[in-house]
Amino acid sequence: MPVSIQFRQALGKLVLPALILVACGVILLGKADRPLIEKLRMQTADLLAPAYGLVAWPQAKLRWLSGNLQDIRNLEAENIRLRAENVSLRHWYDVAAALADENAALKSNLHWIPDNAPAFVTGRVVRDTSGLYARAVLLAINPDTAVRKGGIALDGSGLVGRVTEVGKRSVRVLLITDSSSRLPVTLESSHAAAIMAGDNTALPRIIFYPQDNVPIEGERVVTNGEIESLPAGLPVGHVHYLRPGQPVVVPAAALDHIDILRIFDYEDSVSPPDAPGRVPLPNVGRTMSLPSQFQSHPDQGLHG
Amino acid sequence: MKTFTPPPIRPGIHPRSGLGYRIDHGMRSSVPCLFVFFVALVLSAPLNLPGQVELMPAVIMATVFLWSVFVPVFMPSIAVFMLGIWVDILSFGPVGVMLLMMLIVHGIALSGRYTLARVNFFVLWFVFGVVMVGITALQWVLCSALALHIVEFLPFVFETVLAFGSFPVLYTGFVWTYRFVVNNADPS
Repeated sequence: MPVSIQFRQALGKLVLPALILVACGVILLGKADRPLIEKLRMQTADLLAPAYGLVAWPQAKLRWLSGNLQDIRNLEAENIRLRAENVSLRHWYDVAAALADENAALKSNLHWIPDNAPAFVTGRVVRDTSGLYARAVLLAINPDTAVRKGGIALDGSGLVGRVTEVGKRSVRVLLITDSSSRLPVTLESSHAAAIMAGDNTALPRIIFYPQDNVPIEGERVVTNGEIESLPAGLPVGHVHYLRPGQPVVVPAAALDHIDILRIFDYEDSVSPPDAPGRVPLPNVGRTMSLPSQFQSHPDQGLHG
Repeated sequence: MKTFTPPPIRPGIHPRSGLGYRIDHGMRSSVPCLFVFFVALVLSAPLNLPGQVELMPAVIMATVFLWSVFVPVFMPSIAVFMLGIWVDILSFGPVGVMLLMMLIVHGIALSGRYTLARVNFFVLWFVFGVVMVGITALQWVLCSALALHIVEFLPFVFETVLAFGSFPVLYTGFVWTYRFVVNNADPS
């Protein structure tokens, strides 16, 4: 179709403003339809996961090598330290064994219901997707393993985060340091409940702690069982005061260098039974019908 | 938009436009866009470089700015749009923000290119710095608005500084690419 030069020029001038409008539309779409964007991103991440693995592998090898070299240099000092530690650990082992025996005996007397062991899968972190606005990592998993949204990620020493998006070959784990992460925790010595709130820095803050029972410097922080998918007693870290009145948690997990993560599935470990007198919540999209004695009758007044 | 094409260096002499020539020409002219594409891909890989997250927008903005000022034929608006979508898919930030920023940088460069293409390098560098300050501020405002709380400001300052600092390096790379890779495919 022949188009005049003037028309084509006018059309060319309109392209950029139109594209900027479309970009604004994309921002709104991303806000309105998050699942679509997440699916797109996870599919791309799935495609790229093997390539990312290839990049991560030599780095892991190199780190292992340099770690080994450092270990060789510190061998003598390390041996002395380990011997001392071994002696102390042996003592603690005896104590622990004695306590375990005692515990078992006491529990058998109490008809204790044992906790069921949670299922877990282990995966390698292939990419740190932390950006300017988020702290998260991408984990490569086997396509056959069942990892669910809401799974709990732990490394060797403590809580790392929660699974937020699940793809075919990779899952995304939102770290506890992310600014949208809020977790109920218990402070072990002062027995106070608080909320650990991430703020994109390395040290998540402690908020909503009781004012008459302030956190103690150095005390252990563990999860409490307030939310269903997160059991009580998982180690999180310890309390540290950046300045008076500003307690933070120093995470036990090495969050700046996560290599291997275990994803635990605590999903249906504890579900509360239906309590009598509890008002069932209405399904989404339907309005709750009132019990008959509260329904107003059109022919009667308020007072009958 | 009507773009200015310089007269051919030796008028009347044209290479034969066979298939090989066309492939060669296409490859050469897509170098700028391919560069942005691969920068986004490589800098989103787990390289564990310090400042890797902030480096990606910095390098991409500077590249888009330079090519839009000097040779917008090889950095058309539609390509900037596609690259913006690609960058947004690879980074896990709020969707569309990087896309919008890239389009705005492209638009500023395009509208001011008759002045900008003639000025001294240092003036250009300064102008780019000012543009980046504005762009990053807008990005921060958008991110805060979309996250419904104030996000930390320091990473954005770091991003601006990185973009400002990496500009001369990218300028050198741009000049080299333009002279030895792209310009040889100058269509007559």
